[in-house]
Amino acid sequence: MSTEIGKVEPAAVARPTGFVILQIVLIPVIAALNYVTGVIVNILKLPLFMDTWATMFGTVVAGLWVGAAGGFLYNIVMAFTVWGLPAWVWGFINIYIAIITWVFWRIGWVTVKSPVKLLVAGILVGVTNVVPVTAISWLVFGLLPTYAGTAPIYAAILASTNSMLWASVGSSIIAEIPDKLISLILAAVVASRMPARFTLGRRPG
Amino acid sequence: MSTAALRILRTGYVSGDSVVHRLDGRVKFLFFLWISVFNYIFYDLYLSIVSFLLVLALATIARVHRFALTVLGVIVLPILALGVIVIGGPFGFPHNKTLLLAFDLLGFKIGLFLEGTVYVSTWTVRLAVTITSALIAYLTTHPSDLAGIMLKSRIPYKFAYAFLATIQLIPVLTNEISTIYQAQVSRGLNVKAKLIQRFKSIIVLIIPLTLGAINQTQIRAIALESRGFSAPVKKVMLRDPTLKSIDYLSLLLMTVGTIFFVYLIMTRGLVPFIQGVRYIQPGG
Repeated sequence: MSTEIGKVEPAAVARPTGFVILQIVLIPVIAALNYVTGVIVNILKLPLFMDTWATMFGTVVAGLWVGAAGGFLYNIVMAFTVWGLPAWVWGFINIYIAIITWVFWRIGWVTVKSPVKLLVAGILVGVTNVVPVTAISWLVFGLLPTYAGTAPIYAAILASTNSMLWASVGSSIIAEIPDKLISLILAAVVASRMPARFTLGRRPG
Repeated sequence: MSTAALRILRTGYVSGDSVVHRLDGRVKFLFFLWISVFNYIFYDLYLSIVSFLLVLALATIARVHRFALTVLGVIVLPILALGVIVIGGPFGFPHNKTLLLAFDLLGFKIGLFLEGTVYVSTWTVRLAVTITSALIAYLTTHPSDLAGIMLKSRIPYKFAYAFLATIQLIPVLTNEISTIYQAQVSRGLNVKAKLIQRFKSIIVLIIPLTLGAINQTQIRAIALESRGFSAPVKKVMLRDPTLKSIDYLSLLLMTVGTIFFVYLIMTRGLVPFIQGVRYIQPGG
């Protein structure tokens, strides 16, 4: 009598699962960091939003899709809890921020070692971000002034141009450039302090 | 905004046995989507006010109206106030023609116009409706049901995990930031310093917070793996939400409402009830 013993082969593993799990676990951390930065901004009474810095940081340390997913998730959670449904479209801003940060990071501009490049990258992120911000403001808020800090600028531009669109664009430029510049600098500084074992994304170059 | 938001995220679920609580989570989220979409389709202040009163009544039945009113006070009221002053006032909103009221302020004649005021009111009431309906759905749905609904709606379980983990992480990280803040204040952090100094203070608060949070990701990853998170098997749910007769009745009411709204659009357009104010496109 003979028994056939099946051939046992090791399971093929394409890539280590732990890496993917770490990336997935990082996504809620990035979303929560975006939120908690709002608390810090409140504590320090700073005239900025800074709720995209963690998206930039996540993109730098863990890759484009982790940063984009974390940023988008932050907006989804806020839309389904506090801000209301239309606010989920702000998530596209976070995806845009992740993409443009990733581009600048790949060409080596998001690093504290090159402060001038970092400065230029921050300004460019702010300037280009005005387009999606205005589009969302048009769709969701009817181009109304939503931030008291820039409302006088909005009113002044509206009075001189009679155009809500230009008033919205003008006040967005004033708000977005310093906000995104400081957020990118913060992301670069915090990423530079990260131990190498936590950096999941590929380094540029 | 952060304090109100944090209060809601910390509370998470307001327990109760109201008719709203007994509704299936999917129906509540569908209602939230339904009423938000129709409020954004119509440009009618009366319709938006009726919708707002409806969601406020539901919030009161579910005993979450205080949360809702707090959030509306923090998010919607400032937009309404700013909007009425800038858009309703004499600052160049191109559609302003009908003077609602006028008064003298320091020798200047200040006026408030009907068109701008209605425009701002419509947009802010729309926001109020969508925020209140979102809060009703979120605060009256148990987190376990929320996970079950996501998985039943064929949302990838990795996304469902990320969503629920974010809601849980926000209060945790907020507690950590208060600990870090107190430690930094004891080391001389001055939150009333000049603006530049306050910007520098962000670094000393965010670096320990971020490193702490990132450090914990490995523990979380191990904990998830120990429960077979990435195991190639079909995931089962702790709670399996099923539709009841009250859910079917709610779905029927929404269907009837949809037919009524479509009828209104076809017969009376996007401004069916309010008289004397034409539809104004944003920026138009």
